[in-house]
Amino acid sequence: MSAYIQIQNVQKSFEGTARQIEALRDVNLEVQAGEFMCLVGPSGCGKSTLVFIVAGLVSPSGGAIQVGGVPVHEPDPDRTVVFQGDAVFPWMTVAQNIGYGLQQTKTAKREQEEIVSHLIDLVGLSGFRDAYPKELSGGMKKRVDLARAYATNPTVLLMDEPFGALDAITKEKMQEDLMRLSVTETDKRRTVLFVTHDLEEAIFLADRVAVMTSRPGTIQVVLDIPFARPRDASIKLSNEFQELRGHIRELLVDDEESET
Amino acid sequence: MTETRGKDEQGRKQKSGAKRILTPEATVSILTVLLVIVVWYYFTDSLIPKLFFPSPMDTVLVVGRMEGVLVEYFIATMYRVVVGMLAGAILGVLCGIAMSWNKWINSILDPLIEALRPIPAVALIPFFILWFGIGDMGKLILTALGGFTVMVVTTLEAIKHVSPIYVMAARTLGANRLTIYRTVILPAITPPLIAGMRVTVALSFALVIASEFMGAQSGLGYMIMLARRTLQTDAILVGVIIIGITSWIVDRMVRIIGNYLTRWAPRSE
Repeated sequence: MSAYIQIQNVQKSFEGTARQIEALRDVNLEVQAGEFMCLVGPSGCGKSTLVFIVAGLVSPSGGAIQVGGVPVHEPDPDRTVVFQGDAVFPWMTVAQNIGYGLQQTKTAKREQEEIVSHLIDLVGLSGFRDAYPKELSGGMKKRVDLARAYATNPTVLLMDEPFGALDAITKEKMQEDLMRLSVTETDKRRTVLFVTHDLEEAIFLADRVAVMTSRPGTIQVVLDIPFARPRDASIKLSNEFQELRGHIRELLVDDEESET
Repeated sequence: MTETRGKDEQGRKQKSGAKRILTPEATVSILTVLLVIVVWYYFTDSLIPKLFFPSPMDTVLVVGRMEGVLVEYFIATMYRVVVGMLAGAILGVLCGIAMSWNKWINSILDPLIEALRPIPAVALIPFFILWFGIGDMGKLILTALGGFTVMVVTTLEAIKHVSPIYVMAARTLGANRLTIYRTVILPAITPPLIAGMRVTVALSFALVIASEFMGAQSGLGYMIMLARRTLQTDAILVGVIIIGITSWIVDRMVRIIGNYLTRWAPRSE
């Protein structure tokens, strides 16, 4: 069986102000259906660019992307994205934000209502249904963002350092919630590509971790994470977890040293 | 004074409503106004001759004397301001959106607008009188032109500054281009458009009054011009005060509508 997300020889160069910048070179990666894959790498290695390419927001300079056997050319509500920055529409209420994708996919009004209400409860925002984002904290906005990405029930969920801007405690809470969500019946089948530079976050969440090199970014190695799901935050303190963390860290440090 | 009032409105939630009417700040503002009137009263009629600046009494009396014609002139001016301003603003916003939507529309209109923008609209008044006479039409077009220029530039700048993350988010959720303009671009540019609209209000009053100075048979600007010829300073001052008050009221209305439309936007006090 072939992989659900297939990234083949993807290249990406940007026109910089002075010279051309090669962001990605020969990236090959396969993500299986239902797999939770984390992408880690030094900052500026093009991991966000890679996720944007899979989303269809950015077109590659070379190579091909297939999702579910279909080449990717443009965005699709079947592949939603949670961005690093605050992408929640400030002019819409919590419910309107979460329902945005459902409106575009022309879901029946009653079904929209049900899905939105269910998601509001799921991410713990009951009572904020008609609040505008300005009344919410950073963590709450991220929950809206997450619920909005879940609403269209996408087969692929793309996350670009979604918790990067949150404080440590909120971040941990969000990771645990995401872990809880990832083992529900509907989510077991969902394929997730999650970008982060936080190694602990990557190991805690992922089935496999893909380690990238610095620019031009390419996949250095893909590691299996052996812990069974659902995982408890306490595994972060285990020896095995810390050894894995040390190993990935070394890979990243070695890469940086070979650069200079 | 205007600032205090604005604050009052925004601070409604915190100040639980009770003592909203006379805060210390509002009291000070009212005292300032009273002081100005007292000074005005004290110096005019005695130190300053009426020919240079009329007293409060003269000013009130002249209103009574002119009553009917004052209302007529007021309506004439307001018609020109409101219709000209709205027509210009609406066209300006639509044009700005069309220019950002399609690069060819942009290529066609951009040089025209760039050529028009640096010219103060008042400089065109002689031409407008030549082309359209001294009736309403020339004044409406001139006012619309002023509002158009302000709003088209404001709209283009505002669209340029919409955060790309919102557009990307909408795209990944399945929105097409038209939907993105309707549900993302339009709400996102509303706050700067309201600011542009306030500039347009002030400009529209200036343009209508200026064009009434240069050729008209009605309107507050026409009245001021007539009064100048006969040295009726009290009538001039009445005209100025009425223009000031109405301009303030219209601006206030734009702000109230704007605050409602942007009720979602975070505000700093």
